Amino acid sequence: MATRLQFENSCDVGVFSKLTNAYCLAAIGGSENFYSTFESELADVIPVVKTSIAGTRIIGRLCAGNKNGLLVPHNTTDQELQHLRNSLPDQVVVRRIEEKLSALGNCIACNDHVALTHTDLDKETEEIIADVLGVEVFRQTIAGNILVGSYCAFSNRGGLVHPHTSIEDLDELSTLLQVPLVAGTINRGSEVIAAGMTVNDWTAFCGSDTTATELSVIESVFKLREAQPSAIVDEMRKSLIDTCV
Amino acid sequence: MPQEPARHHRLLPVRPLTFSPFARSVARVATAYLVKHYMHNAVQQSAGDEFKEKLKIIGRRSESSEDEEFDGVVQADFAFFDPKPDDFHGVKTLLQSYLDNKQWDLSGFVDLILGQTTVGTVVKLEDDEDNGVFSIITALNLGRYKDHKCITELKEFLLNICHEKDKIGNLRSLLGVEAQKVGLLVSQCVVNLPPELLPPLYDALFDEISWATEDEPTEELRNSFRFQFYVVVSKFYKHKNANQKRSSSTDKDEAFVYIKPEDEILHKLSMWSFLFPLQTQQVATHEMQPDNGGVAGR
Repeated sequence: MATRLQFENSCDVGVFSKLTNAYCLAAIGGSENFYSTFESELADVIPVVKTSIAGTRIIGRLCAGNKNGLLVPHNTTDQELQHLRNSLPDQVVVRRIEEKLSALGNCIACNDHVALTHTDLDKETEEIIADVLGVEVFRQTIAGNILVGSYCAFSNRGGLVHPHTSIEDLDELSTLLQVPLVAGTINRGSEVIAAGMTVNDWTAFCGSDTTATELSVIESVFKLREAQPSAIVDEMRKSLIDTCV
Repeated sequence: MPQEPARHHRLLPVRPLTFSPFARSVARVATAYLVKHYMHNAVQQSAGDEFKEKLKIIGRRSESSEDEEFDGVVQADFAFFDPKPDDFHGVKTLLQSYLDNKQWDLSGFVDLILGQTTVGTVVKLEDDEDNGVFSIITALNLGRYKDHKCITELKEFLLNICHEKDKIGNLRSLLGVEAQKVGLLVSQCVVNLPPELLPPLYDALFDEISWATEDEPTEELRNSFRFQFYVVVSKFYKHKNANQKRSSSTDKDEAFVYIKPEDEILHKLSMWSFLFPLQTQQVATHEMQPDNGGVAGR
């Protein structure tokens, strides 16, 4: 199921959170609503950890991770690193990496098997990604943008990419990632997909400006409902009527 | 290397990332150079249509190396447009901190502004692919929109935040009984916008209001623009008076630092105002002031 929420009036929930299949990170915000929305959806299944990275709240854009590990930038403080190591499950390896492109969330997009990275990432960083996250790494661009981590969001079941991605690119990426991909928008036409949403294999969180159509596309491509073809159509029909009202 | 923007007359070197190529140029010029401006008379095509301002910023040639340095000439064609639904993201970004850090229906508020095409102006670059919004100005009748969630939240916010006993009564009546005659003046622009644009922008707003009182299709709509009061919610800075000594010139305004130049004038002209502290930053204060309407009284 996809949930709509806001972080302090901002619909960019992907900036202030990081969701994987093993844990969820949330930024320390002004109101408790943000954190409690995650808690109510995820509490029984995976830990929801409140944290900052490098003293900032934009944790979703600074770190990259999956169920195997979490990579944080070089400016993460020792206390933050320790807090993360303490709060996350033991099988999740937390590693601080020395990389000049420190907004790892913008440079790396990954699920539990494959990662797409910024073309200018260090060779060393690529090796660490492959090692810590246990993924195969591909240097790619999306619709001509090198910040792959910003312009796509994908899980083990599907992915959403920048709306201007060409069909050829979509096919190529889909082959690399081995998941179905769809080009679409989030938060009422915003192209920065990963800033507007965060997703794992069974749930997604989107900004509250996301329209019903965008939400239904997300729910279908990430297979967040029990997907029978007729069920998808029926659900979409309901959502479409939703917008007319 | 990012693509050079084609519309400029000369090839510009790689720029730091801001939200549009023009904003980067203006940010550089504004800090270092003399501004000589030429104002062409606004040519109005018809009521509510766009009209243009050409602004040339001329600067001294930079002393350092030639091809990597910016030489200070920026051609900027600002155009005034009617609000359109496409402007949603730009306007929403500008109004992000309108009600401090209160969580409210900001999207609904922006929709209201963009829905009112007869009164309201958005400043953008002419022929800009990025569709970046540089400024928004509009006036919303509090009575007309009183049933919208964003307006009720806004009224609630203001009533709760006003701790000055003598003003709260006035405030309550303005937001309640008198709401039909009150216009909420919303004006926000990017920090580096040339201030020369502001007088035509405000003139445009008040012109549109007076045209609306004649041109709107229904009597009710025409009346809704006959504002007698304007309410302005704005943010500025107030000096923390560490030393309590009384100066001979007890000019209160020296204690305030206005972010928007028009705020100083509006503050002086206002009938009354009240201050309240912002949660997001320590030193800033918010102010609210109604003004006896400039255009309305017919």
